Amino acid sequence: MSIGPTKTETAPVAKIHVLQVEDNPLDSELVQRELRRAGFDFTATVVQTRADFIREVEEHCPQIVLADYNLPQWRGMEALAVLEHENVDVPLILVTGALGEVTAVECLKKGATDYVLKGALARLPVAVHRALRERTLRLQRKMAEHELAQKVEELARSNKELEQFAYVASHDLQEPLRMVASYTQLLGERYKGKLDETADKYIDYAVEGAKRMQTLIQDLLAFSRAGRNRPAQSDVDCNVVMKDVLQNLASSIDESGAVIACDDLPVVAADRMQLTQLLQNLIGNAIKFRKDNTPLISVKVERLKVESARIEPIKIAPIKTELAKNESAKTEATKVEGARIEATKLEPAKLEATKPDTAKPEVVKTLPANGFWQFSVSDEGIGIAPEHLESIFSVFHRLNTRAEYPGNGIGLAISKKIVEQYGGTIWVESSPGQGSTFKFTLPAAIGQAKGASA
Amino acid sequence: MVCTQEVLIVDDNPADLNLAQEALARCKRQNKISSVTDGEQAVAFLFRRGAYINQLRPNLVILDLNLPKKDGRAVLEELKSDPDLRKIPVVIFSTSQASSDIVRSYQLGANCYVSKPVDLKAYFAALQSIEEFWFGLARLPQGEGE
Amino acid sequence: MSTTVDMLLVEDSQEDIDLALHALRREKLANSIFVVRDGEEALNFLFCRGTFAHRSFNGPPKLVLLDLKLPKIDGLQVLKELKSDPRTKTIPVVIMTSSKEERDVIEGYDSGANSFIQKPVDFDQFRETVKSLGMYWLVVNQAPVTDRRIEARGAAQ
Repeated sequence: MSIGPTKTETAPVAKIHVLQVEDNPLDSELVQRELRRAGFDFTATVVQTRADFIREVEEHCPQIVLADYNLPQWRGMEALAVLEHENVDVPLILVTGALGEVTAVECLKKGATDYVLKGALARLPVAVHRALRERTLRLQRKMAEHELAQKVEELARSNKELEQFAYVASHDLQEPLRMVASYTQLLGERYKGKLDETADKYIDYAVEGAKRMQTLIQDLLAFSRAGRNRPAQSDVDCNVVMKDVLQNLASSIDESGAVIACDDLPVVAADRMQLTQLLQNLIGNAIKFRKDNTPLISVKVERLKVESARIEPIKIAPIKTELAKNESAKTEATKVEGARIEATKLEPAKLEATKPDTAKPEVVKTLPANGFWQFSVSDEGIGIAPEHLESIFSVFHRLNTRAEYPGNGIGLAISKKIVEQYGGTIWVESSPGQGSTFKFTLPAAIGQAKGASA
Repeated sequence: MVCTQEVLIVDDNPADLNLAQEALARCKRQNKISSVTDGEQAVAFLFRRGAYINQLRPNLVILDLNLPKKDGRAVLEELKSDPDLRKIPVVIFSTSQASSDIVRSYQLGANCYVSKPVDLKAYFAALQSIEEFWFGLARLPQGEGE
Repeated sequence: MSTTVDMLLVEDSQEDIDLALHALRREKLANSIFVVRDGEEALNFLFCRGTFAHRSFNGPPKLVLLDLKLPKIDGLQVLKELKSDPRTKTIPVVIMTSSKEERDVIEGYDSGANSFIQKPVDFDQFRETVKSLGMYWLVVNQAPVTDRRIEARGAAQ
């Protein structure tokens, strides 16, 4: 559904029904004449009493109400109360004789959309136009919001189903796969050299295939697990996590002679197991994709404040919730594009973390009150070409052959999933042959003093 | 001190049972290995019911969690509620790595929990570690085999 | 202050403590080992009270190595208290004692000990034993991850 501002101020809108609350037929005729002159296509009904007004609102749904301020038995402003009571979004413009400024402001505050003096009816068309346009936008936005909410719910449900499917599939696949893998290996052990060379070769292929399937499934499981349950979030000391990671990677560290220099790491609000997986992925990669020299890997961290310069807001003008007053609000109203959703309400600390070299805006989130820590894992390895800097985070995306470097290409996708789950972002800065620096942000733990680590 | 010890392996997958037997056959000690493939059989075996009326009690039970007829958790619970049988160490040997399964098993009285590795070598190594610890290192309550 | 402890060693003999720590640290089996020398301290530690009131029930040690002969409160009593409280009953407790009594073995397993090991008299054997049991209980075994939230979810499943 395309939404856009109307092109000009005075272009006529579709046929509208105007409800006038006016006891002076001359005045009501003048108003209608003014509207006709401006090119409005409309029908008008004039009412005087409150009862008639209510009936007209209920039965004929006007698009706009033009009401006099002072009427014999009631006041124009009471019409507002009726409209509210009927729960309809119909703008009310006071068309009235002299009205003190104070009164005028009060009326606007109470909900009147505008007021036009009977002595200056030339202003009326413009006021009507604006009121109608704003109403249209309001309605469109409401519809969009509703659609949005529905889409989000649908997506969330579909997502959940997919994740569960992936989890169940990979989980259930493991057992029979294990049987194939184990028994082909046992066959191999038992009969290797006892059958002919071809048999040996075939057995080797079968075993290799089975083993690869196993790692693939384990990676898939890890990937689907990364988003499956809301992980138990607590304050985790990253130094302790690092210790575990280094222990887990002990053999590849020994084998490569890798030297890992690490800052004193902070306490973050995250799940310990996921954090371990994340750091292990990144450091494991840093070791794996090394050049011929001793891998030198450094892990650094810095604190990002809420107003930090590192976080760049996207270049979309903010959407104000009150559309009425300011005409210059270029409202790029809500867009619903598949899964990318832009929030409509402007909340105080709303910023967006973007990767420095991408123009794609991510989902907008509000930052936690405590801000983020920005981690970086740097290596001096083979580096990554600029055209791949984003795609390496996709599932199963590999840049090298299996013979060159082992792995399924899912580690970074998992890392991305983990980081984004906490509202952080992950990206990489690199040049081929010059090593890479993977950076990611995670929320600081609650109650942590600025800059202090546990 | 102790002559042959007896292990009861409870696993519904004959391929896994075979692997376990293969693994244990490669151990230094030659233990007696019995096996059953569902939870009901396991309970009958341990409580000496029906066909198992003359069955000697094992010194160790290696128990899978997901079993037909009677689930491994239910077997564990029954076993550990019995004053005679609860002394027998039970090793949960399962593909599940879910925290909830692990915690639940300990709550029901499992002595330890070992995840079935995916890799064949690791699978064998795990079973051998289990055998090595329980029959080589730990002291078990004197069973009926002696 | 990081309070995650991999293993709690409950032992009153300094010699045995030294041997055990040496064996475990050499094999890098445990990131952190905490030593208490009597049954009362052991209970305070695991029940997060007294001098250990700052400790949390979330994140208990993966293993408690418990001697039977202890001052103040003996090992069996410690074991019984641990295994009768839902907050602590899932913590793996391995009795390691010089006692050769079959009665102790039976009572130990009966009271919920996860395992029972006899302390070798020989120094080298002692070290080997500790190394092996460390290997089994800290690496092969999956200790329960105690987190109230995970447990709540698990119960709901």
